[in-house]
Amino acid sequence: MGQEIKHILSKGLVRLISIGLLAVGFNQLYTTYFLEADLDDHGPMLLELNKIADTSDVIYFGESSNFTTHPDDYNTLRISDNIAVKHPNYSFGTINHGAYHVGMFLPLVKQVQTTKEPKTIIVTMNLRTFNQDVIYGPSEANLRLASRFYQPTLPILNKVFASLNHYDNRSGHERDLLKWKAWTYDTLVSTDDSVHFKVNTIRRWCEVPKFLDSAGVQDNAKRQLADQYIKAYAFQIDDSNPMVQEFDELLQVAQQKNMRVVFNLIPENVEDAAYYIGDNLVWLMQTNRDFLVERYTNLGATVVDNLELLPSKHFLDRAVIPQEHYDAKGRELVGLQVAQVL
Amino acid sequence: MQVTEKTLLFNSVAFFIFLPVVVVLYYFLPQKYRWVILLTASYFFYGSWKIEFLSLIMFSTLVDFYAAQALHRQKIKWRRNILLGVSLTANLGLLFAFKYLVLFLPSVDPMIANIYTVDHPFLGFLLQGVYFSIPVGISFYTFQTLSYTLDVYHNRIEPEKHLGHFALFVSFFPQLVAGPIERFSRLMPQLKTKHIVSYARFQQAFRLMLYGFFIKMCIADNLSPLVDAVYDNPSNYAQWSTWFGTFAFGLQIYTDFAGYSLIAQGAALCLGISLMDNFKTPYFSTSIGEFWNRWHISLSTWFRDYVYLPLGGNRVSLIRWVVNILAVFIISGFWHGANYTFLIWGAIHGMLYLVERLINANKRLPQTRLVLFAGGIAIFISVNIAWLFFRIDSLEQIPEHVNALFHTEGVQNLTLSIPIITMLFTFVLAEIMTYNSRFDQLLSKLPTAVRWLIYAGLFWCIAAWAGVTNHPFIYFQF
Repeated sequence: MGQEIKHILSKGLVRLISIGLLAVGFNQLYTTYFLEADLDDHGPMLLELNKIADTSDVIYFGESSNFTTHPDDYNTLRISDNIAVKHPNYSFGTINHGAYHVGMFLPLVKQVQTTKEPKTIIVTMNLRTFNQDVIYGPSEANLRLASRFYQPTLPILNKVFASLNHYDNRSGHERDLLKWKAWTYDTLVSTDDSVHFKVNTIRRWCEVPKFLDSAGVQDNAKRQLADQYIKAYAFQIDDSNPMVQEFDELLQVAQQKNMRVVFNLIPENVEDAAYYIGDNLVWLMQTNRDFLVERYTNLGATVVDNLELLPSKHFLDRAVIPQEHYDAKGRELVGLQVAQVL
Repeated sequence: MQVTEKTLLFNSVAFFIFLPVVVVLYYFLPQKYRWVILLTASYFFYGSWKIEFLSLIMFSTLVDFYAAQALHRQKIKWRRNILLGVSLTANLGLLFAFKYLVLFLPSVDPMIANIYTVDHPFLGFLLQGVYFSIPVGISFYTFQTLSYTLDVYHNRIEPEKHLGHFALFVSFFPQLVAGPIERFSRLMPQLKTKHIVSYARFQQAFRLMLYGFFIKMCIADNLSPLVDAVYDNPSNYAQWSTWFGTFAFGLQIYTDFAGYSLIAQGAALCLGISLMDNFKTPYFSTSIGEFWNRWHISLSTWFRDYVYLPLGGNRVSLIRWVVNILAVFIISGFWHGANYTFLIWGAIHGMLYLVERLINANKRLPQTRLVLFAGGIAIFISVNIAWLFFRIDSLEQIPEHVNALFHTEGVQNLTLSIPIITMLFTFVLAEIMTYNSRFDQLLSKLPTAVRWLIYAGLFWCIAAWAGVTNHPFIYFQF
């Protein structure tokens, strides 16, 4: 048996070295001829980043808040365009993709090459992406697949890992279960004497009747929207939040690469949150905002606090869902705020 | 079915760590403790899917272990029948509860089920198992333990005296979740034999696994999105695309399942254990009978030995025989899942088999090459059209799909990239060359340089051209 093991080890070593050499050759071949097609299908923003990274002084990482427009808008400028307009001396690059969040931005930032000239990155910080509805959202598996392709490892290794489903690929059903667990068991705790939660979980809060008329009949449309607000903002961010951990890492990576980091904490419809739910929800939004601003300012980032910047009229989807899609004026105002810190 | 990146699928990074660790530990331990490492590994493997479902395997194991012991001691027939009944009821009861009960229950909104599970974890776990996440591999290990009890009942084998060894027979990880369904008389002696490290065996295992990964990850996973697209919206596609998508499912399910079986064989071989061949180029069959001798062999032989022969085999009247054949095929269809579509799929195969026997009984056709070739084409087309019933979710989809095959106004075309075409061509070539052998056997006959070239080619395909779908093996759901 000892002889056979020696035989296997010696032969195995030769084969391992051969496989290693093959892998290097394969990686070259794959990167040259096939990577682009895979990125087109699964991770288009890396292609975009490769186009703009070298020539941009400022790179804006955004999601649909950046580019969503309305037919009545007086212009179609994105938030990033509005920032660029104010700084004609800088060359701007924009990376944006619907539904992207820090989980996708982090590996992309890792892919930005370190240069002598310091770059500035503006990263969208969407308060809603810290909630359970997004963390356990049904599109998360697809987003994490894109994120797999963005990792700064050998491209062929990313492809192998993607083929082996080596990313967070939990099914929608399983994520939904985790979300309901969180909505049932994660309790909201008041740290302010003026704030008292009569019900302290999202689920129980949603169960409370709302918008009853004098006859006790509920306005269902308003109630449904009110519940959407609870699901979107009734949470408390702490160190264990996975998005916080990814933002921490993003900041660390960017600082190691000598990049200046600006977090654009984009506006939420605080006005409607107050109307549909009330002060307790606004308090949660504000304390979460304070947590993020304080944490990342202390860690060396510039946090542009736009949370309460826009009144309700600038939110395009305000009648349907709490979402960060703004009209032209809204995009302009946000852009102006960010432009001021550059 | 719940799959995460931590689930020990064969095609997962975790498995590439798990298998070598188990193999090293296995060979380093003295023979008398090896069953412990294999049983632990097997339970760990299964528990990575959903730890709660381990209780079902353990339940099956305990029932059959003690039922078989009692059967062996008992000489009075009616008491033996009762003991057999206990085992059958327990195993088939589990299978019924977690796989077929859903047919008789009202539908449940998945979100409502999730909310219920949050409030009532234990009952919710049962609800999830019944409705949404059938315990993976339940049909496979249930049939494996059933064959054991039936063999003991018929005095074909002596019962196992060691509970640990028996538990390992039920749960041996390479073949636990999708077969091959092994017989006790074949697997248990191998589990008890002291295997020594062998380079030749590792080489054979490597070849089996490499080819298994190739056909699963490069063929099945690349065809999967094309098949899904056509089956989801057949009328959107141009006629050739609908036909291609329909036939591609036949190829997808074959490469998916045969790929799994080859990897299972390779993984077991690393531990010195030889599992039975489950597929032998089935699409080159020239008759339905031959197809079933080459397709999912471990299941078809199971049905032959434990259903068809006990029903009387071919030593019964013609009408009874026809009924028996149809029953076996319909049951085997139903084995795949709680959907009437599987029943129809089984019935179609039964009918085809009967028609074929009718033609052969008259001996009108000479067995010339031309006839065999024509037969092969006919079987290929028939089997692939029958897969339509296997793939659809409900019978309501049939009219739209059939209409799309013949009168589509759709304009979308499937896109086949050069890598996919190259790999399909390679696969068909490999199938032709392995018509009467296995891939590892074919390779061993080739010169070293050619063999290494093939290795490099397969490595390239797996690394660069594998599909990026989030699909576990299709047969895991059965």
